[in-house]
Amino acid sequence: MWIYERKLQYPVRIRRSNPRLASVIISQLGGPDGELGASMRYLNQRYSMPNRNIAGILTDVGTEELAHLEIVGAILHQLTANLSEEEIAKSFFAAYFTDHTVGVYPQGADGTPFNARAFAVKGDVFADLNEDLAAEQKARVTYDNLLRLIDDPDVADPIRFLREREVVHYQRFGDALRIAQDNADCKNFYAINPAFDPRRKG
Amino acid sequence: MTNQPNPQNRPAELLDMIQKIDFALVETILYLDAYPDNRQALVFYHKLLTERTRLAEQYEKNVGPLTATANRSTASWNWTKAPWPWELAANC
Repeated sequence: MWIYERKLQYPVRIRRSNPRLASVIISQLGGPDGELGASMRYLNQRYSMPNRNIAGILTDVGTEELAHLEIVGAILHQLTANLSEEEIAKSFFAAYFTDHTVGVYPQGADGTPFNARAFAVKGDVFADLNEDLAAEQKARVTYDNLLRLIDDPDVADPIRFLREREVVHYQRFGDALRIAQDNADCKNFYAINPAFDPRRKG
Repeated sequence: MTNQPNPQNRPAELLDMIQKIDFALVETILYLDAYPDNRQALVFYHKLLTERTRLAEQYEKNVGPLTATANRSTASWNWTKAPWPWELAANC
């Protein structure tokens, strides 16, 4: 279960509306490498993870990703909170506004609604952990790309925090992969499906 | 910990201190998941947790509840009174 804490993990203080930035940052809410996909990927991968330490990493990183989803939501909310109709009409944000007003809806920067394929649960220790390592790098690249587009320091500040967390999570998933390899049957040289096969033998 | 909570701490300062210490806790917990036998990390975790408990108690006594079960008042429901965390007003 989860209990909500009434605070952001990192503060978001955006004083100027900016529909252009909202249109691109939304990808880290509901895009292919966004925080919604990240949180649900890790939290759903836990059930078939036989190692308790790695299941702990998935639980705690997955929970932190929920906090990141909220930070991105707060950024989008504050970027669009005081928009005038004129600002909306002349920006790319007009297309989003037509369907969602200034609600926070999970979609990619190109307008594609969130796709559950981002969850990527294979039920295999090594397939899933390699997926997670790649996912953290892809999210880090997306934040790097966003930082190239952001001209407001109020917006860049929490985006930099989120980018740094991708780097740290990559390190922890690297630890998880090493733990999995250290604990695999030494005859299982090619690291094939240790989560399922032992059960089948029994 | 160098930052001691005192009655002069404004709500925003107190929240800032909690966010910082919780960040250190998140980092330490993730590290301990991967290295559960690291004594140094475990000692650090307990040091952070003691300070966190103290700060949270002060925040909930003087500002408001951090979780829904931390509503202290028997006279009114305070959980929904303050700005929500995603509002600019909650971050200034």
